[in-house]
Amino acid sequence: MSTPLVSSTEQPSLNELVLRIAEHQDKQSFAALFHACSGRLKAYAMRCGANDHDAEEIVQEALATVWHKAHQFNPATASAITWLYTIVRNKRIDFARKTKNVQVMSDDLWPDSEPENDLWQDSPNNDVSEHVESDLNAQLVRTMIEALPQEQRQIVYKVYFEGKSHSEIAEELDLPLGTIKSRLRLAMKKLDALAKEQMSWLIIILLMNY
Amino acid sequence: MANYHPADELLMQFAAGQLTNALGVMVACHLESCPHCAHQVKLYNHLGGELLAEQSEAPVSAALLEQAWAKAQAPETPNPFANVGDARVPRPLRRFVPGYYDDVPWGGFSKSIQQWDLPISDSQYTARFYKIAAGKELPEHTHKGNEFTLVMTGSFSDKSGDYHAGDFILADEHTRHQPRAHMSEDCICFAVMDAPLKLTGFFGRMLNPFLS
Repeated sequence: MSTPLVSSTEQPSLNELVLRIAEHQDKQSFAALFHACSGRLKAYAMRCGANDHDAEEIVQEALATVWHKAHQFNPATASAITWLYTIVRNKRIDFARKTKNVQVMSDDLWPDSEPENDLWQDSPNNDVSEHVESDLNAQLVRTMIEALPQEQRQIVYKVYFEGKSHSEIAEELDLPLGTIKSRLRLAMKKLDALAKEQMSWLIIILLMNY
Repeated sequence: MANYHPADELLMQFAAGQLTNALGVMVACHLESCPHCAHQVKLYNHLGGELLAEQSEAPVSAALLEQAWAKAQAPETPNPFANVGDARVPRPLRRFVPGYYDDVPWGGFSKSIQQWDLPISDSQYTARFYKIAAGKELPEHTHKGNEFTLVMTGSFSDKSGDYHAGDFILADEHTRHQPRAHMSEDCICFAVMDAPLKLTGFFGRMLNPFLS
């Protein structure tokens, strides 16, 4: 049995799949990303309250945006899963806006930054820091989620997926509002402590690059 | 750079996409001028990404790939408001403000404090601009609920501090204050409140019926 140099069983990462769309602009790369993420995008939309049909509509919208914006995707600033998250979140907001009488749309809250205004992005030093930042951030957040006790984790989930206000969560879990707030606060303190730790690493890495 | 910031809970709710209202617009304005909070929001976006990564997959219908592909081939609909408004106004507010702050149809029965209601209020939040004339002081007041304030231009003080452009301040029912604009220029604030403010003191009690 011959051993290939690059393992063919290993799935390409989401980062690679998005970069392929940008590079090849073909249906094959689009389909590959679709198979890798559509089920999770749909699950997200449904957890946020969309029915089956609407959730698929949101997935279509999100993937169309991925197709159009793939060339803007920069794995140095955010991982593909975070990038996909921001896209599907915005599609969910704009979809809900159609049915409810809401003025504010996702473009208001997250305006596309004009590249000419982001002068600092050209600076090579920032390039290093951004790259490091993105790697550390993803790792950090994963560590944090894993480290959270179930009771804190549950509340973070509810904030992200169920669109529940703190008082709605309190009612649902039959707990005092203060308990919800303090659990969420504990979870965020942990994240903050990890972020500070990450910042010191970032500074050390930057110093080593000079 | 801003010295007063939104609470982390608020930034997390923003990243979770739960602030699609006037309060979200205010947070977005603050982020434009505050790298610190922008960084926090990035972190909370990563958290969203990781939660998405952990999702178990929902079954999708057989036709979905073709439907998504067809949608991707259709031309993109550009944001119709992308180039609307005055560039001196923070981008998230630009399409809601008629021109610059001088062009706003200010109203109110006093020259020292004028106001204009933004068209982004809903059943939960009232969104308003206040203009405090240079050197003028507001009557002492407290609040029935929460009032979030973002300083747009100029600066003001109360007994708790000095606030400048970009500062994000939360006042609640325990805050009793008397903000005064600094002498150099008018102070324009963007306020979002979940209940009207309540004036204290003699003149305040006289004015309250008109304000609510």
